Amino acid sequence: MQHTLNITTRNEASVVERLLQVTRYRGYQLAGLAMTPLTDRAGLQITLTVQSEKPITLLTSQLVKLYDVQQLELASADVAVLRA
Amino acid sequence: MKGAELVLKVLQQQGVDTIFGYPGGAIMPIYDAIYHSTVKHYLCRHEQGGAFSAIGYARASGKVGVCLATSGPGATNLITSLADALLDSVPLVAITGQVSQAVMGTDAFQEVDVLGLSLGVTKHSFMVRDVNELAHTLHEAFRLAQSGRPGPVLVDIPKDIQLAEVSEPEWPTLPTARLATSLANAAKARQLIAQAKKPIAYIGGGVQMADALPQLQAFLAESEMPSVTTLKGMGSVARANPHYLGMLGMHGTQAANLAVQQSDLLICFGARFDDRVTGKLDKFAPHAKVIHVDIDPAEINKVRFADCALLGDMKQILPAISTATQCADWLAHCQQLKQQYGWRYDHPGERIFAPLMLKQLSERMPDNSVVCCDVGQHQMWVAQHMRFNSPRNHLSSGGLGTMGFGLPAAIGAKLARPQDTVIAVSGDGSFMMNVQELGTIKRFRLPVKIVIIDNQRLGMVKQWQQLFFNERYSETDLSDNPDFVALAAAFAIPGHTITRKDEVASALEAMFSWPGPYLLHVRIDEKDNVWPLVPPGAANEDMLTETN
Repeated sequence: MQHTLNITTRNEASVVERLLQVTRYRGYQLAGLAMTPLTDRAGLQITLTVQSEKPITLLTSQLVKLYDVQQLELASADVAVLRA
Repeated sequence: MKGAELVLKVLQQQGVDTIFGYPGGAIMPIYDAIYHSTVKHYLCRHEQGGAFSAIGYARASGKVGVCLATSGPGATNLITSLADALLDSVPLVAITGQVSQAVMGTDAFQEVDVLGLSLGVTKHSFMVRDVNELAHTLHEAFRLAQSGRPGPVLVDIPKDIQLAEVSEPEWPTLPTARLATSLANAAKARQLIAQAKKPIAYIGGGVQMADALPQLQAFLAESEMPSVTTLKGMGSVARANPHYLGMLGMHGTQAANLAVQQSDLLICFGARFDDRVTGKLDKFAPHAKVIHVDIDPAEINKVRFADCALLGDMKQILPAISTATQCADWLAHCQQLKQQYGWRYDHPGERIFAPLMLKQLSERMPDNSVVCCDVGQHQMWVAQHMRFNSPRNHLSSGGLGTMGFGLPAAIGAKLARPQDTVIAVSGDGSFMMNVQELGTIKRFRLPVKIVIIDNQRLGMVKQWQQLFFNERYSETDLSDNPDFVALAAAFAIPGHTITRKDEVASALEAMFSWPGPYLLHVRIDEKDNVWPLVPPGAANEDMLTETN
């Protein structure tokens, strides 16, 4: 199953590596990645799409612990599935 | 002042008076600042040893451990220790020197991407790029190492930052770590506890880390339910508690494992359903509902579904869910299990039986002694046959299972608690993994007691080869071990070898009455194995014992 995460992070050089390291280690396959600096350049808006049969909450609960992650939301389609 | 001096200033501001490390090119400015500092630096003989000493210091004291290393090999030598601290949730700040920013990324001498290497083994890692951010970054590292679920934080400081001039900044105001505790599920938890016929408390290292041992004793007293602990939770339950069943899991007591398997409510306090605890997961406590109390939301439902979860400060949660139970029959049943499956020490022959020897050591050692283990058979025997009155008195590499942990951890523990006796219990395999730290003991004349349980084998691997690999003993023979007593003597540490049961009592007496460091070399039979054992892939009630 595919899930899309909208993540706001600090604009640190290693932040994408950290997200990808956790994603790989926790057993989720990367299916898409996009990154845009926020207007003040202090932060990044990252869209991460992953594939896995595991519940997505097992990944999101690890990603939100990362020091550089400021906000994490599941894309609305995923939220609808989780609530169903 | 220079950036290097600022590093020492921040350490002092954080109340750090003891650090462990090893110098090298890229961290020389910080070592130059140490030369005039009041912060006491303990020179270890390998960066891994230094970091394990910092971990031992942290675990024995509850403070943050601090270690230093240079760039390149110094930093890579820290990696195992960082992983150990991550898996056992130990507050550790590791400071590494890095090559100057001008040559970073050019494969300079002793340059390695330590930030990249650290990603999977730290809670967070920082690279300082501006000397004006140095103080804030270091303070933030200390805050982060201790906040929420503790863990290791690495700060990589390029040499030019260490040498740069900086005005002394004021202590930055950092956001106070908010420990959001939700008691929304407390009523549900109390209801589950009150309704349970066979409840059991499953206690991990998180209770001590939350400083919630008094609240735990009060909870167990009011609820009057049996309890079991993980390897890291050992010492959490008061010795006088009659309903404590011991450690659960692969080498747990039969009473603990059977009771958990039969329970209808499992209350997990600060533990994480590790595979060494659960055995075959889908057969673990199959009839039990689960209440999971933890500080880390990521642990809830990670391995085992929780019917009720409470997140936050254990000190608040324990009293909020404390409830009397009506389970006299269950308590009586657990007592019967405890009596039926008690340890037996009537081992035939004259040779030393390690479980009995460790029981004697436990009874003879002064109260509040700290025991630091390595990894393998001796580690499990210590957990089974020694008693502790606090998890801070039993330092064992639980999550990572790192051979070589015990000796340097004992050095850190002794420096954290010089008034208490510190004993490193090691195996002949593990001891050689960080044997160089005998040099640290010699240099600082640290009165650490060392007990090597020597079966001239990598005993736990050999045991598995015997049981599960058709007795093909591949690369587990250590019969060419050095003369351990002579080795200790080379570091001016006296020692003695014993081989017979009737030598144990007097040997322990001699070791404890000697005022300085001492090495007791205990030869045991290589055929002795650790029992019981839950085989891989089996449920916890399917324990192998010596007789089956």
